[in-house]
Amino acid sequence: MDAERNRLDGKAGVGLRLPHLEEVVSRAPAAAWLEAHPENFLANPHARELLLDVAAHYPVSLHTMGLSIGSADGVDREHLARLRRLCDDVDPVLVSGHLAWSTHRGLYLNDLLPLPYDEETLGIVAVHLDQVQQALGRPYLVENPASYVRFAASTMSEVQFLAELVDRTGCRLLCDVSNAYVSAANLGYDAYAYIDAFPADAVAELHLGGFTPEPDGGGPGEELLIDTHAGRIAAPVWALYAHALRRFGARPTLIEWDNRLSTFAALHAEAEHADGVAAGVLGEIVPHAAAR
Amino acid sequence: MLPLAELQAQIAHAVVSGDCERAAAALAGGADPARRLAVHARHFVTSLTGALREKFPATTWLLGTDLVAAAAHAYVRARPPHRPCIAEYGADFPAFLGEFDGTRTPPYASAFAALEWAVGRASIAVAAPSLAWSDVARLGAQGLLDATLELQPGLEYLRFAWAVDELMKMYLSGCEAETFVLRETDTCIEVRGSRGSLALTRLDPATFTFRAALREGQTIGAAASAALDSAAAFDAGAALRELVHAGLAIAVARAPRGSGS
Repeated sequence: MDAERNRLDGKAGVGLRLPHLEEVVSRAPAAAWLEAHPENFLANPHARELLLDVAAHYPVSLHTMGLSIGSADGVDREHLARLRRLCDDVDPVLVSGHLAWSTHRGLYLNDLLPLPYDEETLGIVAVHLDQVQQALGRPYLVENPASYVRFAASTMSEVQFLAELVDRTGCRLLCDVSNAYVSAANLGYDAYAYIDAFPADAVAELHLGGFTPEPDGGGPGEELLIDTHAGRIAAPVWALYAHALRRFGARPTLIEWDNRLSTFAALHAEAEHADGVAAGVLGEIVPHAAAR
Repeated sequence: MLPLAELQAQIAHAVVSGDCERAAAALAGGADPARRLAVHARHFVTSLTGALREKFPATTWLLGTDLVAAAAHAYVRARPPHRPCIAEYGADFPAFLGEFDGTRTPPYASAFAALEWAVGRASIAVAAPSLAWSDVARLGAQGLLDATLELQPGLEYLRFAWAVDELMKMYLSGCEAETFVLRETDTCIEVRGSRGSLALTRLDPATFTFRAALREGQTIGAAASAALDSAAAFDAGAALRELVHAGLAIAVARAPRGSGS
């Protein structure tokens, strides 16, 4: 894992979305690394072929959306097998997914749904993580979710839950700094304290994405932050990112921009900004490598 | 607290139905946790209806945004996905559309949407190296009758009571005629695609039957027999040569004895 992290050299990459795929293949724009969602490629042979071309020229990470490690029903074995085959072909530098669930009794709910943080859930998620890591033959990075609600009967905090997962399974963590900001704002806790309590040694990657405020209905001026990935990173999230870097040190960072998708150049500009923040915090220039 | 499986059953129901009150009893957050849980229910509907609109732009062009959006909204709640790859979601949307709001949905809507689904599937396929005629001919006449052919992955065979291929070609060309008469006629269509390219070909019924039967995995002999039932003058040898020369076949295999169809 350390070797993979070093291969990315703590630099910021961007999410590779289907509308940018042909541009990346044909023009090879500058990018330190790229992250792909396997679910966009597993059932699309042409896109998969192009992704393999991309992976020959850029470091690529795979970020799963549908593995559902928090589902009480278990992990979809067929989906896991398809993911394994894609990993064999792409040889990703990192493989990650969410502390969430999205399947129930054969239904796929196309969202990242919240989990209660207690011993029962911990046992279930740990078993699923073992299955995933065994099937993939590599460490799996678990990402903290963006939350709008919490379970009233949870018996541990999110960071306590994540730390226990690391201890039980040897998994690594993906700290989504934007999710930390969004969840803290929505649920009324301190995002900086959350980062301070996050298991730093297990952090192998950081995420940054845009959010969208909407009225919460609780009273005038009250807002709910929605994790939309539909725009630039907000200023307070950049500040929290700087704090995270001071605590975690250099980590590969990924810019997520999925909706109201801008140009690839705009995404890359956000990655360059992240590199600039990192350079300022860590006191060194982090070079932004050309693709080839 | 309820066991995780029961909590997830309640939340799954809330997300699919949009009724979040019961599931929200276990939740905290904001003045109204049910309203916050509804964010997930809203995302479920909007993300999937958006995915369907992206898969069926021609159908939306033909029927109008309001009708397709209403059908997609109803479809998402009635038939939620079962797989995490949303590219695979919507295969039975054309049939659903055909049964949706009969007063507003024209009789050819389902056929047109089914053709659009096939066009979408074919266009993301990747063609494989095709067989040469010599690869096939070496089996000999009797061996060929008992053999099966694997066809290109980007091939789809569809038969409709409406000439929806003419309408689709007009849509794909971007040249909208001032008037267009959609004929009600038996229409056999071969859709062939690879790496974003696409061709729609009208086939005669016997050739269509032959190729569609091969596509289903029937032996060449069984496929020829089915085509002869369609047209007594069908020339199976010529049809086979034409298929191979067109690059449609990618593998040939002797069928196990006793599996003639």
